[in-house]
Amino acid sequence: CKSRFEKLKASNDVAKKYQEALRLYNKRDYSKALVLFEDLSQKYRGRAEAEDLNYYYAYTLYRLSDFTTARYQFKSFADTYPASKNAEEARYMGAYCYYLESPSFSLDQENTYKAIDALQLFINLYPSSDRAAAAGKYITDLRGKLEDKAFENAKMYLTTGPSNVDNYRAAVIALKNAQRDYPDIKYAEEMDFLMIRAQYLYAKNSYVIRQEDRYNEALALYNEFTENHPDSKFAKDAKQVKTDVETGMVATKQELALYAADQEKYKQMLIKTKKVKDTVSTKPTNADNTDIKN
Amino acid sequence: PVTPSLKVGGLDLDYFSPKEYIIGGTTVTGTQYLDKDVLITLSKLTKGDKIVLPGEATSDAIKTLWAQGLFDDVQINIEKFVQDSVYFEIEVVERPRLSSIDLKGISKSQRTAIQEKLNDKTGKIVNDNLYNTTSAIVKKYMLDKGYFFTKIAYSTRKDPNAENSVVLEANIDKGSRVKVQRINITGNKDFKAAKLRKFLKSPKQFAWWRFWGSGKFSKEKYEENKVKMMAKLQEKGYRDATLLKDSIYQYNKKKVNINMDIYEGKKYYFGNISWAGNAIYPDSILKKVLTIEKGDVFSEERLNKKLNGGGENGGDINSMYTDNGYLTFNIDPVQTKIYGDTVDVEMRMYEGPQYVNNRITLKGNTITNDKVVLREIRTKPGQKFNKSDLIRTIREIGQLGNFDESKTVPTPRPNPADGTVDIEYAVEEKPSDQIELSGGFGGGRIIGTLGLTFNNFSLRNLFNLKAYKPLPKGDGQKLSLRGQTNGKYYQSYSFSFSQPWFGGEKPVSFGVSAFTSLQSNGLNSDDGRLQKIRLNGVTVSLGRRLNWPDNYFQLSHAVSIQQYILNNYDGYLFRNGTSYNINLSQEISRDSRDSPIFPKSGSFIRFTIQATPPYSLLNKTNYATASDREKYRFTEYHKWKFDSQWYQRIAGNLVVKAQAQFGFLGQYNKAVGQSAFERFKLGGDGMQGFDFLQGSELIAMRGYANNAVIPNGADPRIAQQSGSPIYTKYVLELRYPVISSQQATAFVLAFAEGGNTWNKFGDFNPFNVRRSAGIGARIFLPIFGLLGIDYGHGFDTIPGVSEGGKQNFTFSIAQQLGGF
Repeated sequence: CKSRFEKLKASNDVAKKYQEALRLYNKRDYSKALVLFEDLSQKYRGRAEAEDLNYYYAYTLYRLSDFTTARYQFKSFADTYPASKNAEEARYMGAYCYYLESPSFSLDQENTYKAIDALQLFINLYPSSDRAAAAGKYITDLRGKLEDKAFENAKMYLTTGPSNVDNYRAAVIALKNAQRDYPDIKYAEEMDFLMIRAQYLYAKNSYVIRQEDRYNEALALYNEFTENHPDSKFAKDAKQVKTDVETGMVATKQELALYAADQEKYKQMLIKTKKVKDTVSTKPTNADNTDIKN
Repeated sequence: PVTPSLKVGGLDLDYFSPKEYIIGGTTVTGTQYLDKDVLITLSKLTKGDKIVLPGEATSDAIKTLWAQGLFDDVQINIEKFVQDSVYFEIEVVERPRLSSIDLKGISKSQRTAIQEKLNDKTGKIVNDNLYNTTSAIVKKYMLDKGYFFTKIAYSTRKDPNAENSVVLEANIDKGSRVKVQRINITGNKDFKAAKLRKFLKSPKQFAWWRFWGSGKFSKEKYEENKVKMMAKLQEKGYRDATLLKDSIYQYNKKKVNINMDIYEGKKYYFGNISWAGNAIYPDSILKKVLTIEKGDVFSEERLNKKLNGGGENGGDINSMYTDNGYLTFNIDPVQTKIYGDTVDVEMRMYEGPQYVNNRITLKGNTITNDKVVLREIRTKPGQKFNKSDLIRTIREIGQLGNFDESKTVPTPRPNPADGTVDIEYAVEEKPSDQIELSGGFGGGRIIGTLGLTFNNFSLRNLFNLKAYKPLPKGDGQKLSLRGQTNGKYYQSYSFSFSQPWFGGEKPVSFGVSAFTSLQSNGLNSDDGRLQKIRLNGVTVSLGRRLNWPDNYFQLSHAVSIQQYILNNYDGYLFRNGTSYNINLSQEISRDSRDSPIFPKSGSFIRFTIQATPPYSLLNKTNYATASDREKYRFTEYHKWKFDSQWYQRIAGNLVVKAQAQFGFLGQYNKAVGQSAFERFKLGGDGMQGFDFLQGSELIAMRGYANNAVIPNGADPRIAQQSGSPIYTKYVLELRYPVISSQQATAFVLAFAEGGNTWNKFGDFNPFNVRRSAGIGARIFLPIFGLLGIDYGHGFDTIPGVSEGGKQNFTFSIAQQLGGF
């Protein structure tokens, strides 16, 4: 024996079905309402009742958290009935569904970009709408998410520096790129500071003969930092890094001096050997061993 | 002379005095399915029109109707004259239409292939033209397949399903497939005909000894291969070589001959090779990489290989540049001058700027977090662009196991303005979790197993309910849980967790695992006859990738504590007591396999040492007189294991796998004797089955039963229960993939194995092995892991073991790949 709902579902009485669908919707029995709305949206195509029906249909999907289908229905509603009193709301809800579908910043952000576009389109279409402010807020939210991603991914290179020296250089570049991509990024100050640290670590872990230049770059970054952020909460840490850079530079210079001395000694030895060679024929020495790897 | 005249209805139609009439009406008879009005319109004999009779209008009408090809017969009759009006009757005999063609006498695959070509014929009229075109199509197809003497007989039958339709039955007598008696080659000077025939991969001419291979003639293949044959000549330096003409003619009913007339032309050699446009590398270096010298035989193929490579290993000029940042590098060898038999080549190069990696982005990771993938990517911002790194990265992403390797696509986007390149890696997530759920019948009771493996777990989100979909995912951690029980007799539970980047700074993996298992005869604990063994254990491990000697190496350390509690339990060196095994193991491995599931190249080598502290050397126990309880309280041993696997593609997708394994369990102190635990059990499926206890190591060997391969002369009861201290095993396997898609990977294999166990190192002889051979199949399904079945035949009988230790079929489920 079929239930009343099943019987209705199978019947052809569209008007009754519509009534029942609305009743179910208002009763918050969305999954049952959806079954009827899906069926009716086909049958009511091209009829006057279709407008309200599609509006409820989209909302039913939204209530069921099927945001992908819901946003499609909201959008198609707004496209089909641009003059409807509900058009603005549908346009907004479509964009809002995108917003809800935007995942955590550490995943693919395709939906975030789409949500920003959709919300922006809403603001452009209805600049004076009450909802425009909310849409604006959501855009800020989503941009924040993109900023989080840019920041965290750039910082990752600094974190994983110990696994590969190149990651420190990558961190400096990625941090700079993130600032370029998001000029008013909320992490600007911290990023400026992290850049100094990354550059310092890069210099410190480089081959000795490359260190001096790279330390100097770290100093330049530090100077920029103090100029841009005179009273930063990272000032103390930055200062510490600067001290480390200076200590590092002294060490580098010492090492280079030692190296130069060694070279000198070796040269002297070569000259001596040559002298010997001038008088007695000896085996030639291998003079290429002095190359230092960089 | 009598004037030709036509008398119709008493009226005389005189050809010399045609008369004009008005058409009073036209009727059509004999139609079955055609529309009468359409036919009248076509005939142009429309009511009310004027017509001259006798005249051309009536004959034109007949011609037009005939031209439709719809009729077997068309007649136009004058029905009657009424005053000035004439009434016509068109009488037709309709032809039936074709509803389908039924091809008989050929195989199903041939039928489908031909049907496809004949599709547009349905709905047409069955006439001579149809027969002819159908015959042509069928014959052409059969000719391509090597049937030269196809005969076709047609018959029609009414189609019961459609009106006025017939089914055309084509009875095809395909005759025999012809072979080639002789291939005559003329015009060749430098190449012997035999050599040229060798270049022609198919067909091969008849030879009495060619009993394998079909030797059958396929025109399709011949057409394809004759082009390749000429290409081969060109590759050998004969760049003018052409096939002047070729013909195929009948030799006898089953054989044809082929005549080929070729023009060899002369052999060309490389002349001067000059370089243009190179600023980075001097000519001398480029020359060294090119390895083509003036005077070498001219071969475009060889030239191309050296310029643009073809393999992934580099060694070509293109890789030299693209691995050093010259992303937009381009080289074009231009043959500038041809004189006599010499070709001068100029290498025109565009080096372009040296690109530096800038933004490295990831796309398509809908489950896995950015950093899990980004930290594995080898192309880093600030480095020079390197194509080899790019390719290696695809492999590394594949090894994470969360993405479909074939869909990992890197897209470099160069910005010529500032010499940087942004690289986007597009990935596609694939299901990576595995579930093992089984119920079986063992030891007279039902045994149930539940195993879950999550390969992309996220521990930090364990308490974040939002991240559950359906489990916290995305951090690339691995969690597995497994439980197996049949109630009182046997229980085993295990858990393991591993994190690939412990601490997030370095690729140091951290793992922790624990297990507990129990086997007993099911009696209550207060029953004196209770026999029971319980094992508990915890292992903590750390592993890290090395950059030296190369970056395929990995080093790992593990500390493990195990407890064995025996209660009247037979099969070990003691029956009652508790034993502890505290050991440290070190492992070094090198894995360069190109794919985790079906490797086609690369190798895997692993060397492990596991050792316990040498208690007997530290304490003052007299082991010669000590009780079992004292003697075995702390298990002591040192264990050495070596495994090497090697994969090589030999032809097409056919891959050979060679593997050698060796294991040795040694003792510190003779008085203590060999450890009762941690021994090797050889034979069978190597799976953690019902009789599995973690106190030993299981080594699969197909063709023999589980644990059956015991040392010669050993007591089967003990040796099968506790295992043996020394083993070696060799495998040679041929593998061929049958399915390779995201949903499943499957391959078939043929194997030969040899392996044995020994009790004393003095007896050890790596060549004295028990042998087996057989065939099998494996299928990898993302959710279930690797499932396998093998049929093996053991050649050697193992004395003392039931049925000689042999077992033909072995099944394996989710067996660790490359495991011991």
